Amino acid sequence: MGEQKTVEDFANWLRDLAVTLHENAAYLTELDSAIGDADHGTNMDRGFTAIVAVLDETTFESVDELLKKAGMTLVSKVGGASGPLYGTFFLRFGTALAGAEITPASVGAALKAGIGGILTRGKPELGDKTMYDAWAPALEAYDGAVAGGSDLGGALAAAAEAAAKGRDATIPLVARKGRASYLGERSAGHQDPGATSTTLLLESAARTLA
Amino acid sequence: MIGIVVVSHSRALAEAAVGLASEMVAEGDRPVIAVAAGLDETTFGTDAAAVAEAIGTADSPDGVLVLLDLGSAILSAELALEFVDPEIAERVKLSSAPLVEGLVAAVVTASTGASLDAVITEASRGLAGKQDHLGDSPAVVESAPVAAESAAMEIAVSNEHGLHARPAAKLVALVNGFDAAVTLTDLDTGRGPVDAGSLSMVATLNVQQGHRLRVGASGPDADAALQAISALADRAFDDAPAQPVAETESQTTPPSAGGSGLDVAIGPAVVVDASVDLSSYVRSADEQKRSDEARAAASAGLARLRDDTAQRVGAAEAAIFEAQLSLLDDPTQLKLISQAITDGSSAPDAWHNAFDELATTFEGLDDAYQRERAQDVRSVRDRVLRALTRGTAVPAVDPLDVAGYPEGGILVVPELDAATAAGVDAGRVAGIAVRAAGTTGHGVIVARSRGIPLVTGIGDVAVADGVLVGFDARDGSFVVQPDEAAFRAAIGTRTAERAAALADADQPAVTVDGQTIAVLANVGSVQDAVDARGADGSGLVRTEVLFGNWRQPPTVEEQAQVFRAVAGALGGKPITIRTWDIGGDKPLPFLPQEREANPFLGERGIRVFRRRPELLRDQLKAICQVATETQVQVMFPMVTTAEEVAWALEQLGAIGTHSWGVKVGIMVEVPAAALRIASLADGLDFVSIGTNDLTQYTTASDRGNTNVAALADALDPAVLQLIDRVVRGVPAGVEVAVCGDLASDPDAAALLAALGVHELSAVGPQVPLVKARLRQTDLTAAAAVAAKALSLPSAADVRALLQAEL
Repeated sequence: MGEQKTVEDFANWLRDLAVTLHENAAYLTELDSAIGDADHGTNMDRGFTAIVAVLDETTFESVDELLKKAGMTLVSKVGGASGPLYGTFFLRFGTALAGAEITPASVGAALKAGIGGILTRGKPELGDKTMYDAWAPALEAYDGAVAGGSDLGGALAAAAEAAAKGRDATIPLVARKGRASYLGERSAGHQDPGATSTTLLLESAARTLA
Repeated sequence: MIGIVVVSHSRALAEAAVGLASEMVAEGDRPVIAVAAGLDETTFGTDAAAVAEAIGTADSPDGVLVLLDLGSAILSAELALEFVDPEIAERVKLSSAPLVEGLVAAVVTASTGASLDAVITEASRGLAGKQDHLGDSPAVVESAPVAAESAAMEIAVSNEHGLHARPAAKLVALVNGFDAAVTLTDLDTGRGPVDAGSLSMVATLNVQQGHRLRVGASGPDADAALQAISALADRAFDDAPAQPVAETESQTTPPSAGGSGLDVAIGPAVVVDASVDLSSYVRSADEQKRSDEARAAASAGLARLRDDTAQRVGAAEAAIFEAQLSLLDDPTQLKLISQAITDGSSAPDAWHNAFDELATTFEGLDDAYQRERAQDVRSVRDRVLRALTRGTAVPAVDPLDVAGYPEGGILVVPELDAATAAGVDAGRVAGIAVRAAGTTGHGVIVARSRGIPLVTGIGDVAVADGVLVGFDARDGSFVVQPDEAAFRAAIGTRTAERAAALADADQPAVTVDGQTIAVLANVGSVQDAVDARGADGSGLVRTEVLFGNWRQPPTVEEQAQVFRAVAGALGGKPITIRTWDIGGDKPLPFLPQEREANPFLGERGIRVFRRRPELLRDQLKAICQVATETQVQVMFPMVTTAEEVAWALEQLGAIGTHSWGVKVGIMVEVPAAALRIASLADGLDFVSIGTNDLTQYTTASDRGNTNVAALADALDPAVLQLIDRVVRGVPAGVEVAVCGDLASDPDAAALLAALGVHELSAVGPQVPLVKARLRQTDLTAAAAVAAKALSLPSAADVRALLQAEL
């Protein structure tokens, strides 16, 4: 087990994720242009660039404060549906960690709270071809890893791996939520951009919080 | 009234949709509509925090309806409900209605004062009219359940565009006020019956001009509902583009709470400084947030003021605040402010600079109406600055914030602008003390017409907030820490005097020596006419004020309708309608004027119409039309030459035989007109002296300029000499009246009567007092005093003489 994670570690995660999303912006947008409004990459990049700007000028006392600020920034800066969805995720993820010691179990509970927020907001079901198709298996894998005695880094790695599988599984699906649902059958055969960014988020977490 | 929030990915889309929907209802009736759309001007996206802020702006105790476009708009709106106060969130409803159609239906329905549920229902039916027209979806004309009708009738729709949304909204609002089920069937198309209480259903009938409607009704109020609908149809469904019709309706609401009507007052001082004191302002880490919060507070304050004012005073006055609200939402300004803050300005500096620049821009415009907006800009700026000072050592007082100061306080203001005079709660302030001199400015006139005790010219006297002060406008005294008992006694005496005067208000004003003086009221709204107790009619109907809020010129019929309402409110007593008196400081939105170097010496009154007589002709037609029904005289303002009189008579003659019986007069405001009154008034029925303008032209003192306003004293012997000249110089048979503010001062009114003026038109609340004063006057004896007044050196001497000898 690694040492206790600090605010700095979580900030590094957000910075790493910002770099990752920036590098993948064109890719995400390309995915979105096939079945949506071609803005997912740009939107996420804008949101996380704004988060980095906040990180540069503000010192955060606690992990929950940091994550909640990140959530609010996404809410205001992303613009598309991923704004309120990821925003709610970070708000609830952060809130669940308020006053808690950072342990694999507490992070797992926080992930669950964050994903719960996504469920409340977007009302997705498994197989709707949304980011939830990555989140749901990821949470299951994370919990399984923790139950098996894994540390935070290990559990996050398991979650990222499961998310990637979930992401790939969205390819044949017909979209039932979001702008992609207007395309009906034509949305099949394309990978869901939301599930893709979720996977990037978890992969980044596994890298930086190990 | 509920508030409305529009959430969209695109700011341009949202603003255009709001513009489209806003056109449907008069400005004063519109609900608050807040927009949360786009990440900025051009970037598509939605922001839950912005939605939460918009909800705060639109919030009202009646609830908030949120209309949205698609995708993230829905998610952001839902998330926003988690950000707002749970108590507010409870009264917010998100609607799945189509954005454009839903918004139009919602705005129209909300403007009728409908409940949140009713507005949601109408919004979600927003597609009904379109679906029905295109026939591409199942029949949506929901036939109203056929109840056993107890009564039915037929009406015709005369409106040019048929029963379109605005008249339909009037009908729906009317129907919903009755305990009756009302249905409509279009007899020309066979459509219906539909529920007349539903705007969308009425819209699906698509009633065109000339169609006949069958109106069926059942329920306890069925007959009353039909009667009211019939009357509404006769009035073309009150489809006027602005508020005077609303004023007609206000006759059924209790009259606005006015002031005591006294000229003496005592109470704790509420000191309002000329400029907001920012010296104790301390910058915070997040000035943008401060700025946003101050803007939200200012916006909420203005919305409250607008609603209060609409209720207490009238829609016309409330519109001032509506206009100010829109300034707070101006995206260009907001961008400038945020940019300034980003660049390191403090919030107060950012607002100061941005709004000062805007005010300067307005002042440089050609259109006088637009120029006046500079005052609004400064007022809004100060409102935000005051909000920014909240929590600092010296929070600034808002003269219009009723909750902000103690009941019975005396407002001490540097100057009195018309918006403050109109908006201040007359039931809450004991009086207003104005530091600047001058008794003929707009604010002073408005305050006086509302019966608010008022003293002007108190100067730089030091007054601390909350200290007891008193004043007596009769001698112009203002006392800090006065003898409270003496003031209370004076208030008691004056109240008794006023009560006695009010009790006798309806009696004619017969002087001690048996001469009857007609005392009439000046009227700028139907409500003024309703409030004028004891008036023997109106000696001045200010048409430019009656229609001051109209964006388009009223039609002949629309004007006639309002004139009828004024005459009706005065019980059919004679009214003198003054034709459009615009120019100078009185711009009209529908008649833009070019910028002039000296507007008071430029195109004013009748001069304006020499180049464009159409508007004047329409007004004369309306006046002549009403003159066939009730006693009406017509009066032309700002006449200087006999040639102008001839031209005016020619315009009137062109109306045809209708004009033959109407008595015609001119206003005497220009010294030249007073000097050659004998030739000028030849062939006229009457002349009426406008003492405010006659005074400012005679003394060459701008009554709006506080530095010289004290010179513009209507009791100046030079002015009195001109009045005397008019009385003695008019051709035989021509009556002389005074309709300026001088006639509202009881002592001055006695002097005017002594000079031989036998008709006085005063501000409404003063009418009983003027009458009471005249009843105590012996005109034969007073004539000697009046003659003495003419030769005195100054207005102050005249005033002293009146106190001592009249």
